[in-house]
Amino acid sequence: MATSRDDFIIAIRSAFLKKSTQQKFSLLTLVFASIFIIVLSNFDFKVIRYLKIGINEVVYRSSFLVSIPENALKNTFIEVSDYTTFYGDYKKKSDELNKLRSKNISSEIIKFENKELKELINDYVSSSNKILAKIIVDHESPFLKSIIINKGSKDNIKIGTNIYDQSYLVGRVIEVNFKTSRVLLLSDLNSNVPVTIAPQNTQAIITGTGENYGIIKYIKDGLFDKFTDESIVYTSGTGAIFKSGIPIGKVIIDNSQLNKNLYVDFYSDFSQLKYVFAEVITQFEIEKPANESLAKDSKQNNPMKVKLKILEDEKKIIEDTNLKFKEENDSLKIKLNDLNQQISNFKNIISNQKDKISQFKTDKQEIEFLRLNLEHGHKCRKSFFNNRGFVVGTSEYKECVLSKGGKTNG
Amino acid sequence: MVSLKSKSHFLRFYSWLPIIILFISVMNEFDLNYLRLNYFSFNFPFILIFFFTLKDFKNFDYFLVFLAGLVNDTVVGLPLGISSLSYVLICISTSYFRNITIRPNPIKDWFFFLFVISLINSINYSILTLFFSFNLILMNYLVNTFFTFIFYLIFVSLFKYYLRGLND
Repeated sequence: MATSRDDFIIAIRSAFLKKSTQQKFSLLTLVFASIFIIVLSNFDFKVIRYLKIGINEVVYRSSFLVSIPENALKNTFIEVSDYTTFYGDYKKKSDELNKLRSKNISSEIIKFENKELKELINDYVSSSNKILAKIIVDHESPFLKSIIINKGSKDNIKIGTNIYDQSYLVGRVIEVNFKTSRVLLLSDLNSNVPVTIAPQNTQAIITGTGENYGIIKYIKDGLFDKFTDESIVYTSGTGAIFKSGIPIGKVIIDNSQLNKNLYVDFYSDFSQLKYVFAEVITQFEIEKPANESLAKDSKQNNPMKVKLKILEDEKKIIEDTNLKFKEENDSLKIKLNDLNQQISNFKNIISNQKDKISQFKTDKQEIEFLRLNLEHGHKCRKSFFNNRGFVVGTSEYKECVLSKGGKTNG
Repeated sequence: MVSLKSKSHFLRFYSWLPIIILFISVMNEFDLNYLRLNYFSFNFPFILIFFFTLKDFKNFDYFLVFLAGLVNDTVVGLPLGISSLSYVLICISTSYFRNITIRPNPIKDWFFFLFVISLINSINYSILTLFFSFNLILMNYLVNTFFTFIFYLIFVSLFKYYLRGLND
């Protein structure tokens, strides 16, 4: 028993430490070196980062060169299978092209409107420039779904840069070297994309499955029945990892299992990619007067400050408007008082005139009475010879005079 | 004289051929994935390293195997050092197996290969999921192990032709 254990230990020790004449390092040294590199590559030291970038550049280029024969073989295989379905594909694609041309016009209008609205909200315009990138390494590993493109930090590619196949999203950059970058495809298990499902307008997350389709996650159970095979999936822009409104694929409903599953059939075939577009985004400030521009430079980067600035401006405008209304109100009040005063004056004048008219009427009646009194007074005055007359000054006398002596006692 | 010189160059190239193929395979990921057969994949470097280290082939330097691992990690996008560790562990296994074997038997080699690649794929899977939080499908690893095990016999017969050619 002890002998067999000793044999085992000797064999193990020999395996780890024995170095034959051809070998430069013992296996134990190489095991430690591997572990050391694994640990070291986790730390983001500047030296290690540059070393890694250097290794990546060399290995990616070498890999591209080495892959040429296999890629040629692969392309031949794909081309032969393409030729068999060539005519059918041509007919289908020409129909699609006609439909897309008509849709393109409305999409251009929406883009323009969108740009205008963004200008209003953000004070800056995002200018996206799509640069063509060639895929230099695409090995379709069964474990990790990623590709290497021939554009890097030299071409303003950054970690998180969105990568497109035509206008469809295929992934984002996860590693940037000087002249190359690694793109994590949407089909990778580690890829999670916040999306909107139209026309239901439902928010969800798409996770890669390792195949050429994704699975839709984090949807309420009750919403599952709403979706149809015609539902379209596009990026929602939540989390600011991906730009919003980029088409990804169509919904596939799988009823075959007990639990209903929703999948996304990607518009782009990741295994057929040769060239992709990398969207390099640059932000331009909207031109403003020099003094305002200087004051805003410090605030430009902070969206909260920009929002506060907008609110302050709004407040100032409202205050100015209020002040103007107040002044107008005061001036109107003054005018109103003046007018009231004028009305009062006019009323007084009218009243005076009325008094005068009334006085004139009274005077006229008095004159008429006196005239009639002279003519007919003797008929109404009570005297020795006129017993039916009235005492002068009484109302009966006055009435008698006005009726020209027609009204007498008896 | 010229003929002898060119022959020696060819022999030199021929004797280094396994390590050249190893580097080409890690850079190229030669695994017929473009056939797009569901789950189908196999690990050619595992077969190559296992066979030539088991035979203690003189030009199959452990350090170059270690470098090939680093290249593989860079190409595939794995954390640096993972494949190197896997390859070096294969070298250790074969070295141990060579030490304890008195009479070599191809069938024993084959099943020992299955044990080694299962162990190494398990270590790989554990490190990537536990320490690096990678999302991986275990089924892919199992199928990869199975096909690598099956393809071992085919490639071993080709390698034997190579060794026979070298001896001649």
